[in-house]
Amino acid sequence: MKPYTKLSTPLLMIGLPLLIAANLTGCESMQGVFSPPKPEGLNTRVYSANESSNTVTVMDGDSYQVLGEIDTLNYGPHDLALSRDGKQLWVTNLANGRVTVIDTESRKPVASIYTGTRAHVVALTNNNKHAWVANIADNTISIIDTTIYRILGTIPVGKGPMGIAFSRDGKFAYVSTQDKMVNVIDTTAHQVIKQIPVGPNPHFLTLGPDGRIWGTNTGSNDLYVIDPATNEIAATIEVGPAPQQIAFALKGTAGPNAYVTVTGLNKVVVVNATSPTLSIREQIDVGEGPNGIWANAVGTTIYVGHTKSNNVMVIDTGTSQVSATLPVGKKPIRVVASR
Amino acid sequence: MTYSSRQFIQPHRSSCTRAFSTGLVGLALSLGLFTASTAHAAGEAVAKAINAIGEFTVFRTDGIQEQLEGKGSLPLYEGDRVTTGRGSQGLMEFTNGIQVALNEDTDFLILSRWESDKGITRILRLATGEVWVKTMGGPKPLEIETPVATAAVKSTEFALKVQPDGQTTLTVVEGIVEFGTAFGTCPIRTSTISYGNRGKKCTKPAPTNVSPTIAWTQGIRQ
Repeated sequence: MKPYTKLSTPLLMIGLPLLIAANLTGCESMQGVFSPPKPEGLNTRVYSANESSNTVTVMDGDSYQVLGEIDTLNYGPHDLALSRDGKQLWVTNLANGRVTVIDTESRKPVASIYTGTRAHVVALTNNNKHAWVANIADNTISIIDTTIYRILGTIPVGKGPMGIAFSRDGKFAYVSTQDKMVNVIDTTAHQVIKQIPVGPNPHFLTLGPDGRIWGTNTGSNDLYVIDPATNEIAATIEVGPAPQQIAFALKGTAGPNAYVTVTGLNKVVVVNATSPTLSIREQIDVGEGPNGIWANAVGTTIYVGHTKSNNVMVIDTGTSQVSATLPVGKKPIRVVASR
Repeated sequence: MTYSSRQFIQPHRSSCTRAFSTGLVGLALSLGLFTASTAHAAGEAVAKAINAIGEFTVFRTDGIQEQLEGKGSLPLYEGDRVTTGRGSQGLMEFTNGIQVALNEDTDFLILSRWESDKGITRILRLATGEVWVKTMGGPKPLEIETPVATAAVKSTEFALKVQPDGQTTLTVVEGIVEFGTAFGTCPIRTSTISYGNRGKKCTKPAPTNVSPTIAWTQGIRQ
């Protein structure tokens, strides 16, 4: 304590302002000096599946930086599913029918599993024990053990399975098929128990924050909502030509809203998801060919992949403004982010 | 505020990503990882058919069909579909020494799984029919998938039969087989039988006389 006391008044009076001035001068070139960085593990990790470059791009969803690119060791990466703990990233590879499993910490593939012809989408069961993969040309769902990577069974479904989502309680799986149906699968029996007629080329399916299943008819211009209590269509709304994928986020106090990429408009259409009847809140101009979309865990940011301009836009949902545009691989068709 | 991060990100990506991707490709090559299509293109046979009784057909991934008649050596590649007709049988041998006999009306695909810490595991995806499997010369990883179950082996002799509805019957002649459905696994040991059905765990092993189960293999294995 004594040396510090002796140093005190005169030197501090001169030195302290100089020290502060020096730090302020260097502020622009040393971003982050005055704000401690978030712990590594807490930053949002965003991944895009780049179908035409056979890679997955890794991004930091908070600092808007591209961190790297991972070769899937396969062909045509199309869909992504991230485990709840963020450690495993499952990638379907449409061209050669295999699934790549990526260890997100090392950013390396750890397994490559053949599921079926044109492996299209992958979804993890609610307990993350199994990965379900839709094989378009085989009309099947492959069930993979996520620990030992072994295929444990195959479920026949309708023609051309395109999307998969699980109900909130995990009792049902919903699979959209190209024969204009959503197949309802009893997950305790691995049997299709019902087919729900929907529109042309039903594609993406996801569980909404309201517990309902949301899907798009990419072959037309609308989305639909299925009530899992009745397994019937509860609502539909026209959003524009070729709607693709859906994410849920907030706009200030309003929401949750469904953010829908609409390729034919080059827009993200925002649908009010809080009422039984659906309505459009706004439309956000984005880049060319918007397709993949995902929201951060708190619902303040969405990440939109563009298959024509090969980038991911980061959009602040509070202002509906673009915060950043990140270059990724070719044809980023799917985007996911850590929870 | 709207701005683009491209200027900040591009240099990072060009320096880091390229090296990262190159490293991964090198890793893949050094591990001998190939997809079904590249393995075939590279002409790396994974097995050969060595005997056939009746109609034994191989469907290549490019659509070509080949048949084996009697004894011979027909190379088999990853991605090939192998079938036998009514009253027909076949015998094949993998490059690592695993023998597989096919009974009549059998239909399977030759596949694989790659894992960074285990390498390649050979997989037969059995759609219908019946196979007999025997590993020789030490443990050899092999798995047989059916529509409702999977049998994983290292060193054993067993027979597996699949009904059109997917019901799977496993009979272990010698050794131990890790038999499982999506609803649970059952280790099946020498001279026991277990069944796998859709939506259910495999049944507990029950003692069985294995001789009648594999009697059909006597002719094709000679």
